[in-house]
Amino acid sequence: MTNTREMKFESPSFTTRIKGMLGVDFYRLFHTPMFYIFLAIAAIIPAMVSAMTQMPDQNGNTMEPLYSNVWQIIAASKSLYVIEGIADYANMNMVFIFGGIMVSIFIGHDYKSGYVKQLFTTHAKKQDYMISKTLVCAFAMACMCVTYLLGGTVAGLLVNYDTAVNVGSLVIAILGKMIMSLGWASLYTFLNVIFRKYFGISIASSFFFGTGILIIGVAAIVENLALPTSFLNMFLYGASVNANLSSNISALVICIAVSVAWTVFYNFLGTRILSKSDVY
Amino acid sequence: MNAIEIRDLSKSFRGMYAVDHLNMTVPQGAIYGFIGENGSGKSTTMKLICGHLVSDGGEIRLFGRDFTDAGVRVRVGALIENAGCFPGSSVYQNLMMQCINLGLENPDEEIRRVLEIVRMEDNADLKFKSCSLGMKQRIGIAMALLGDPALLILDEPINGLDTDGMRIMREILVDITEKYGCTVLISSHILGELEKIATHYGIIRQGKMIMELSAAEMDSRAQVFTTLRTKDTEGAVKVLSEKYADVRSDDGYIRIFDVDDTAEIVDHLMKNGHVVSEIRKNKVGLEEYYIELMSQKEAE
Repeated sequence: MTNTREMKFESPSFTTRIKGMLGVDFYRLFHTPMFYIFLAIAAIIPAMVSAMTQMPDQNGNTMEPLYSNVWQIIAASKSLYVIEGIADYANMNMVFIFGGIMVSIFIGHDYKSGYVKQLFTTHAKKQDYMISKTLVCAFAMACMCVTYLLGGTVAGLLVNYDTAVNVGSLVIAILGKMIMSLGWASLYTFLNVIFRKYFGISIASSFFFGTGILIIGVAAIVENLALPTSFLNMFLYGASVNANLSSNISALVICIAVSVAWTVFYNFLGTRILSKSDVY
Repeated sequence: MNAIEIRDLSKSFRGMYAVDHLNMTVPQGAIYGFIGENGSGKSTTMKLICGHLVSDGGEIRLFGRDFTDAGVRVRVGALIENAGCFPGSSVYQNLMMQCINLGLENPDEEIRRVLEIVRMEDNADLKFKSCSLGMKQRIGIAMALLGDPALLILDEPINGLDTDGMRIMREILVDITEKYGCTVLISSHILGELEKIATHYGIIRQGKMIMELSAAEMDSRAQVFTTLRTKDTEGAVKVLSEKYADVRSDDGYIRIFDVDDTAEIVDHLMKNGHVVSEIRKNKVGLEEYYIELMSQKEAE
């Protein structure tokens, strides 16, 4: 004998669906040690870079300091698409490299544990997954920017670097990089959706794109040909580099536009891929 | 209304059909035993229903709606292959995540409710990785039960369970269909266990549904037979074959099919000088029926 009770099915609104998915991802983020470990890594890296350059070498000679100003630990003094020295590169942009690894681990665990099955069973719309992962990972990377700022500032002050800065540009540089977290998170979410069955490739590809090596290569060619470099700002790495200690408000506008545009693009592509392929 | 209606569903991997133009109907409120050999397409069908795989063609409807409808999918609970929990998180945390995912209003109360159903109310704080296989399967069921599901899809939920675990799982499944009116689609290789709870069966072979029938139909089709033992098996078979149409012997036992009257059999043997040392009445079970059906298909 079968029990055939009356069934009512109400379609949840987009907001309800996203709220549920975001809720799970934030719960996971705050209840697993990974997030806190990456926050700590983001704080320790600038401190380590600053401290190591103050240590004497094997012959007892003090190394040439990497930076002369505290805020150079946070952002370069101008838009340096091509790296001239490690100091141009070793700033808050490094968060995007470590952030890529964090996103890969975060999404990789969804697949490794099999939890993704629960998400895709109850969420028929694949865009929910893309949007939620992008937003939560962007939040996590923005938090890493904050701990990087704290770690870098404390380390810079401890080693007595100069503190002179254009405050407006500094604020724009920090905000710009935090906003760029969204675009970077969407790229990493997209990469992890493509390589969802291959955890190692996901991490390697996130690291590769996070280094910005492709744009650095293009920039080197562009600079050799003496062409204008401003078009490089339309890419995630270019816009991230463009937010620096000599930026004005236009750099912030570029960061918002580039970050949002790439997020929409990667989310659209990711949703298409998830909808057209086997997810687990 | 049917809980699941599948028409002409196909799924291939590298040119090989795992599900081959499958048709399937699961009535609402049924416990539908989905039976088939390894690689016959059971798990693939279940994954297609859950939206984990993309079909090559065909139609899946759940409660009369397209299976991609968000309203119906949010009412599907599934346990496919494993529970799909984070090993480092506690049982409670894993269930809490699913409650948040489903947007349930009283998650704590809901978690206690499902843990009670699966008899794990004292293990909420245990880390998932510390749980035994049986406990993990029950957590998987609990996870699937969150949020008043209308349909439960369970792929081999009793695999690896001990006798007691199987009994508990059986009781849970009967409970949830009777109390909550949930429809259950369940696959298992342990046909004896499935037979105790299923109201309907679907038999799949090489990706094709070869038979769908209710438990009542199965019962009416099941052959009755008498098993007996005598000192002279060969002689007794000869005597019985003169009177009954289907007499078989195997491993010292004689089986007489479609004969219900044991007294008549004993009497006939006695009259012909054979003493019966052991006799019992049997019915062909799901397992025998399935094996018979598969050998018929093999021969075709």
